[in-house]
Amino acid sequence: MKLHILELIFFSTYAELRAERARSYLGLIWWLLEPAMQMATYYFVFAVVTHTSTPDFIPFLLIGLVAWQWFKSSVTHGGLAIWYNLPLIRQVKLPAAVFPSVQILADTIKFAFILALLLVVLWCTGYPPNGAYVALIPVLIIEFLFASAMAYLFASLVPLLPDLRFVIDQVLVVAMFLSGVVFSTASIPSPWREILALNPMVGLIDSLRGILMHGQWPDWLALARLCAVSIALYLIALLLIARLTPRYVKRAA
Amino acid sequence: MSQPLVSLEHVGIAFSTHLRFGAQRYWALEDVSLTLNPGDRLGLIGRNGAGKSTLLRTIAGILTPDRGRIRRATVSCQLLSLSLGFLPHLSGRDNAVLSGLMLGLQYRDIVRRLPAILDFSELGDFFDEPISTYSTGMTSRLGFSVAMQVEPDILLIDEILSVGDAEFKEKSGRALHDRMHSGTTVVFVSHDEKAIARVCSRALWLDHGRDAMYGGVDEVLAAYERDPDVSAVGAAKHE
Repeated sequence: MKLHILELIFFSTYAELRAERARSYLGLIWWLLEPAMQMATYYFVFAVVTHTSTPDFIPFLLIGLVAWQWFKSSVTHGGLAIWYNLPLIRQVKLPAAVFPSVQILADTIKFAFILALLLVVLWCTGYPPNGAYVALIPVLIIEFLFASAMAYLFASLVPLLPDLRFVIDQVLVVAMFLSGVVFSTASIPSPWREILALNPMVGLIDSLRGILMHGQWPDWLALARLCAVSIALYLIALLLIARLTPRYVKRAA
Repeated sequence: MSQPLVSLEHVGIAFSTHLRFGAQRYWALEDVSLTLNPGDRLGLIGRNGAGKSTLLRTIAGILTPDRGRIRRATVSCQLLSLSLGFLPHLSGRDNAVLSGLMLGLQYRDIVRRLPAILDFSELGDFFDEPISTYSTGMTSRLGFSVAMQVEPDILLIDEILSVGDAEFKEKSGRALHDRMHSGTTVVFVSHDEKAIARVCSRALWLDHGRDAMYGGVDEVLAAYERDPDVSAVGAAKHE
């Protein structure tokens, strides 16, 4: 990749993050306030209203939501990025993958702040740091690859099938419930549990909970498999964007 | 004889007309051949919808041919676009960097040229304010100053871009004129035949997506003006 393209991605990410600050009164505070409000909502529904909470429900829910929020925002923002930037793509020759990459990076930086806050909350509520924290690095890298792959995949198709825009949000709501974010997939009966486990987010969120709550090392074999799947999807999606780019500029405006 | 920078052989470009299944395709370019040699200053003339801008974007590499063939030497080729990718909440300085990166400059090069951009745009202290506070004229002054920093091997220009008030118009027009006569290869689209005659050495007349005539600028312009369609329209409508 050419240097100025890489520089463009980083500078646009900076511009994107600046935009968030400029677009609201509270600016960066929303990065933390928004997930906090979301956590409060789910806590209210599952622990107070329906009493379906497991022991340790608060840390369980917090970790799931923080990991999911990163995935979801990357896919929604990245997935629309090429479509949103079509006027620019018609004017200048740039690799189209630049646009979703910027969104994913911006969401990843926001996630870093939220993760730091999550760790502080966990330490204060009786889940101190432990040696298995080392495994956070591979788990988070795999989640980054998987989220990027999904974002690129949507991003490559939305310009040609703009109707997909209306589908992404709904798919993500269903996917959230199937990813064990708000309830444990361990409580689901046998054939379904294995089917749900095909969703990479289930394994990733479980691994995160194991590490952060119980100091448990992740299942390395399962993780290696997820890593291979994510890398494959990532490359396929990038290839798809490159192959479809000539069509984006010729689509009816 | 030097190698041509770009050559097109019977190139056609089709757009889809509607977002429907089985929608018709519209051929904006039917069949165009041309050769661009180093130092050429090529003018594109033709009526509205003849495919001039489409051809320009094809040479720029933004559009890929649906039929025919395009060959390109390893050269940089830039469509001159003002205010490319500008974001309202960013300062003039940050927008200059962002736009420069999109136009193919490296970060280091743009930062080195920021004083020249500030100087040419005459923005003063406004350079570090968000461009949402700018007037239209200020934004286009900044856009022009950034675009002038890019030095591609082939410069593609869609209509003369003189911007701002009378004084800046004169200054930007002069800068662009100097640029076009500095030995750069130029492809220039305009409805203004006088401007084409002033700037270009060769001309291509596009008619309904086909190359009607390609040759020396005087010869092509003379034939273009003689065309009954063109002279009738030219008298009624001048853009």
